[in-house]
Amino acid sequence: MAFLMGDWPSYDPQNFSQIRPSDPSAQPSKLTPATYHPTHNRTVPPPNQVITTEARNILLRQIYQKAEDKLRPKRAATDLLTPEHGCKQPRGAFSNDP
Amino acid sequence: MFKSLNVTARVFERQIVQPRPSASVNSVRQFYENFVPSCTIYDIDCPDISFRKFTDDGKYLISFSRNHQELIVYRPTWLSFSYKGEDCDSDALSQRAKRFDSFFIHLYTVSLATSNEFICKDVFLYLEGLEFGIFATSTAQTHEVPATEGAVNGVQCVEKIVFHLVRLEDGFILDEKVFCNDFVNLTHSMGVFLHEDLLCIMSLRYQAIHIVQIRDSGNLVDVRIVGTFCREDDELFIGSHIQVTEGQIFLSGIKQRLLSYIFRKHWSEETDQTLRIQHLKKKFYFHFQDYIDLIMWKVQFLDRHHLLIKFGSVDGVVSRTTDQHPSFFAVYNMETTEIISFFQNSTEELYYLYEQFCDHFTASSRSSLHANFISSHSNNIYAFDQLCVIKNRASSFLQFVKKMVTSLPYTCQSQSPSPYFDLSLFRYDEKVGNSPLTQVP
Repeated sequence: MAFLMGDWPSYDPQNFSQIRPSDPSAQPSKLTPATYHPTHNRTVPPPNQVITTEARNILLRQIYQKAEDKLRPKRAATDLLTPEHGCKQPRGAFSNDP
Repeated sequence: MFKSLNVTARVFERQIVQPRPSASVNSVRQFYENFVPSCTIYDIDCPDISFRKFTDDGKYLISFSRNHQELIVYRPTWLSFSYKGEDCDSDALSQRAKRFDSFFIHLYTVSLATSNEFICKDVFLYLEGLEFGIFATSTAQTHEVPATEGAVNGVQCVEKIVFHLVRLEDGFILDEKVFCNDFVNLTHSMGVFLHEDLLCIMSLRYQAIHIVQIRDSGNLVDVRIVGTFCREDDELFIGSHIQVTEGQIFLSGIKQRLLSYIFRKHWSEETDQTLRIQHLKKKFYFHFQDYIDLIMWKVQFLDRHHLLIKFGSVDGVVSRTTDQHPSFFAVYNMETTEIISFFQNSTEELYYLYEQFCDHFTASSRSSLHANFISSHSNNIYAFDQLCVIKNRASSFLQFVKKMVTSLPYTCQSQSPSPYFDLSLFRYDEKVGNSPLTQVP
């Protein structure tokens, strides 16, 4: 590992003696890590998204959260049988295959 | 975590090692582990005045004259002394160290109170950035209180209370706010709360929360008064639209908001139409008069727009022990004029907020660096352990909850942000020694 460790003192000179670079001619500075590109665009953030800290402190957030839970009228039992939530959508045919 | 006894090594490390991002204040505070007071000097001749407090930035020592009419401010100048050898004891200190004026420079003496007024020693609030101080003077309490329109019967009355805004650099009195024939609870500054540049003053007699802004120029500007009216134009609207006949009184704005919140809460708890009326009767109408009789006791800011208001009965204001009287807490949004939450002092939900977010009740601004490090059971595991011990030892959880929430609303600037009181750095016995004020032998 002469090109990485140089002549640094080592506790045991046999350390790292088994490691051989895969390509002897490749310089460390020219090695670029492999980059990964996403195959879909489902998780792309909206173009005008700005990330900032929440202005309201955590205590007030908790108080508002609990207040909303309390004031939301509780659903009667019959309503729960039909799912009204829009969070689950039926799976359609894939249209994003590359 | 105690790092090292070697001060020199820590200084060198501070030169070369950058603290973790946003943790430079933590590093500064940890350095105090190596600098602990180890010597007390006794029997120093001090001026005969009543010392109140050091400001949190260490720039001023606030004191009052014995007749409670003058403000006397000193600049602490920390004497430097070097000693060669081991075990420096107080005999080795020079004579200069035994004099009061070696440590403090007298800046000025300002008269705040006139002949029949006196300074309320408990009230001192400090604006760190601008170096302004807020003080209060009042006349003696009058015992025969005439019943005045708009005033609550049974609450004491003081002829004149004045809040002074003083520039501590030179003692110049910048502005004043006067309350006549009113009552503000000035014991332990419970009736005032400072958050950044906003000051709220609880007028108990007229049941109004005065929100005042402190401008950089030193002016006290009235922002709003929450009580009879909630929005700025309520008074104008009512005056121009409604003819108020003799004897017809509206409930105050804040009371109306409270009652409508309680009504809506109980309305939404029960979905069945027929049972709803019964539920309302039991929970709301039965207690209607009790809710009407509630008065505001104490208030604090939770942030610039939200207030935490403590409600209770009139008797509770006058009496010292508040255990027998139930109290209630409401979170009020000043911008939307809505009540967000309403709890009784024995509710578990309120205790949960107190247990988990106690440090957020101090409402310290982001610009005040060390105030965010005040130890409490919500941000320190040792304090939390102590709380759990008390909780497990309590015979009744209800009584325990009531006892814990008596400290709410928080009393502004009542805890020192000093690293010596930081439970992550030091352990100390609260019962030994004085409160965090300067020790004067």
